[in-house]
Amino acid sequence: MAGDLFYILVFPGFLFLAVFALIADYIDRKLHAKLQNRIGPPWYQPLADLIKLAAKEDLIPRQVDPWLFKLAPVFAVTAVVTAALYIPIWRHGTPMSFNGDVIVVLYLLTIPTLTFFLGGWYSRSVYSMIGAARSIMQLFAYEIPLFLSILAPALLADSWSLGGMTLFYAHHPWYALFNAVGLFTALISLLGKLERVPFDIPEAETEIVAGSFTEYSGRLLAMFRLALSIEMIVGAALIAAVFLPFGLNLGGPAAFGLYLVKVLGIVAVIALARTVFARLRIDQMINFCWQFVAPVAFLQVIIDLVAKGVIAR
Amino acid sequence: MSDITQEQVIQTELTAAYPCLQDKVRIQRARRLYAAVSKERIGEVFAFVVRNMDFSMLCAITGLDEGETLGAIYHLARPDGMVLNLSTSVPKDRPMLRSVTVFFPAADAYERELIDLLGFQVEGLGPGPRYPLPDNWPAGQYPLRKDWTAPDQAGPQREGSENPDV
Amino acid sequence: MSEIRSRNVTIPIGPQHPALKEPTSFSVTLSGEKILQVGVRLGYNHRGIEKACESRSFIQSLYLIERVCGICSHSHSSCFVQAVEEIAGLQLPPRAMYLRTIVAELERLHSHLLWLGVAGHEIGFDTLLMYTWRDREIVMDLLAAITGNRVNYGMNTFGGVRRDISHEQKADILKAMDTLEERTKYYISVATEETTLIQRLSGVGVLSHDDAIRLGAVGPTARASNVKRDIRKDDPYAAYDQVPFDLITSDCCDVYGRTLVRVGELMESYKLIRHLLNNLPDGPLAVKAPRKIPTGEAVSRYEAPRGEDVHYVRANGSEKPDRVKVRAPTLANVQAVAHMLKDRYLADLPIVVAAIDPCFSCTDRLIDLTRDGDGRCDVITWGQLHDYSMRWYKGQGMDLAKLNNRFKCGESS
Repeated sequence: MAGDLFYILVFPGFLFLAVFALIADYIDRKLHAKLQNRIGPPWYQPLADLIKLAAKEDLIPRQVDPWLFKLAPVFAVTAVVTAALYIPIWRHGTPMSFNGDVIVVLYLLTIPTLTFFLGGWYSRSVYSMIGAARSIMQLFAYEIPLFLSILAPALLADSWSLGGMTLFYAHHPWYALFNAVGLFTALISLLGKLERVPFDIPEAETEIVAGSFTEYSGRLLAMFRLALSIEMIVGAALIAAVFLPFGLNLGGPAAFGLYLVKVLGIVAVIALARTVFARLRIDQMINFCWQFVAPVAFLQVIIDLVAKGVIAR
Repeated sequence: MSDITQEQVIQTELTAAYPCLQDKVRIQRARRLYAAVSKERIGEVFAFVVRNMDFSMLCAITGLDEGETLGAIYHLARPDGMVLNLSTSVPKDRPMLRSVTVFFPAADAYERELIDLLGFQVEGLGPGPRYPLPDNWPAGQYPLRKDWTAPDQAGPQREGSENPDV
Repeated sequence: MSEIRSRNVTIPIGPQHPALKEPTSFSVTLSGEKILQVGVRLGYNHRGIEKACESRSFIQSLYLIERVCGICSHSHSSCFVQAVEEIAGLQLPPRAMYLRTIVAELERLHSHLLWLGVAGHEIGFDTLLMYTWRDREIVMDLLAAITGNRVNYGMNTFGGVRRDISHEQKADILKAMDTLEERTKYYISVATEETTLIQRLSGVGVLSHDDAIRLGAVGPTARASNVKRDIRKDDPYAAYDQVPFDLITSDCCDVYGRTLVRVGELMESYKLIRHLLNNLPDGPLAVKAPRKIPTGEAVSRYEAPRGEDVHYVRANGSEKPDRVKVRAPTLANVQAVAHMLKDRYLADLPIVVAAIDPCFSCTDRLIDLTRDGDGRCDVITWGQLHDYSMRWYKGQGMDLAKLNNRFKCGESS
């Protein structure tokens, strides 16, 4: 019981995730700055931002339902932290693993987007409402490719738990190469999920101020920001676990170190995308996802099904 | 360069079409012509130079307070750089002009400026927001008239204050 | 989503909005993401400068006029000075003409580089913003070295210019032109190769050739619609009739075309500045101008970075102008913006508005510092101020001097 509580609240639960998220946030920002020929923030900047926001007053618009308005960010943080509990870090599986947890993780990672929508929609501000509508439109565009590309490796591994999948790929490391295409589409979908450039359409500053978050301030905004940062590392960890399932056999510190490297590597890719692309328009984003990403993700499913058939024979 | 300059060609053409402009068209320097037109004829002359003489750009409309009358100068330009300044005056108690937005949609802003800052009345100007004064600007206050001075203190008139540092 | 589709929403863009650097108000009626109607309300920055000039002497008005705009301050002051010189019948010494033109072209450089960055920011491409604004600093430093100010240069005076360009400055400028030209070539390759950039710019904010003429568009906005309209060619002023340069146009008629025109003009400006510097005539900087300007009137046109700037000045023989009229280029282009936005997406609004390069208000930098403790005021030089900022940032843990050296070594992009 105490062990579980420690697992949920401290390591690798909330506390670890929060700290790791801030570090990842720092690396993202610093790298972004370096790539842009800027100096970038000092190492404590993400924490300082969080403290500053937390110290500010929460302003709640008069017309909104205060409960929903306040609960949306809480749900967002809870969902991403819960999702993290199922993702293998230094060994195959976690104490919470069960067959089917990969589906649960994917759904838990959808919840933040829904809270962005609810929070934004019920903010009763035109900018928030447009941002909320864009969040949902975007969700439909990237969610299918993400599901397809994450589930394809599961098909090949014939296991619906992340622990089972990593175990399978640990025994057959070369099979992970079958999923190279899926890694690519999953990364693109993750950019959409995290609302990052080139898919930061729901919070396009120059058009709709801050999108869903326009009316949020203080602790509630801090929570949304934290949820996004944690979502970034959880998403990265999920992709790392599914597509780069190497090194978990090493066990203990070595595997943990490798986990950090893999996650931060994906964060670096995200920062790179932020540097080299311009923001797309919502229609361009949806077209791109449906015409290109979804078919490629589907191709991944076919590759894995064929591979599985060949292996079974 | 030939003996007859392009400026003189324009001058001749204009006086030929409108004998009333005899001696009223002045060449100040290369590419700068000025013509004073009576308020009765300005509409015709304007239409003529725009339609027949290729003055296809309206650079600006300047409003002037000339004491008894209000003056308006239409700065028209041709692609070859010729600028024709058609000026006219209207009495202060009935400062009526015809809108030129039919020729130049962009004249909208210039005409609203004449209305706001000098108190012109422009016939044929469509509805739209005022420019450049604020919506709560008091009626009958025209900052560019010579007898207008800024009210002492802040308040709704602050934007029209003479102090540029505000 | 169904709710937003079933009824039209009107959203205010401005007077205060992250996409606008200056108060203007667009009220945009949307159906979903599509713009149905745009209402433009200007005038939030009306400062009564025209009226204020009437109660100031000519020389005071000159400095006031220079502050109409922070970015194209030299444009406004030159335009005004030209009008007054025409009325007073002043003949400028050739060196003054050239110097005025050099500053004008440097101003065009920094304005276009600024625009390129802003355009990048509006479409969420902040990397371009960071790169171009870094390079813009080179131009700003040159301007500060030549005129003493980064903006509001105070270079012009009636009858000439106030400062000369020394041999060392000439060498510095020529060297900077080489660096900037190389960087600009890189931006051209980015603009022509980067897919997301092209997708966001191409086919957006379309203004056909005929519409551009009908709506009276000016400057790069008009030239991008293939309208060959440039006051530097059509109605030459200063030294523009003595230097060779090409008129850059594009037939894209969209925001992408406006980008190409501006980067093309950057390349032309480098050429122009080199030519002007290498052929800089000797002679005095200014002729003496009378305090009282004789009765007369003049219309002056000037190709500001954003388009045609028009000033009308009337003098009545006294020390003060009788009437000063200023028409900034943005006013001529605003009609075109409303036209370009119709039936477009909301996401295109910021870039379409930015594409005409609306005139931003800028603040000058501080040169009067009150010393801590004794409260004494003293003026510090540009170099001292530069060192001070370096020291201050060093105290903050950022060594900018090192960074600058790295750029100067040519490590870039």
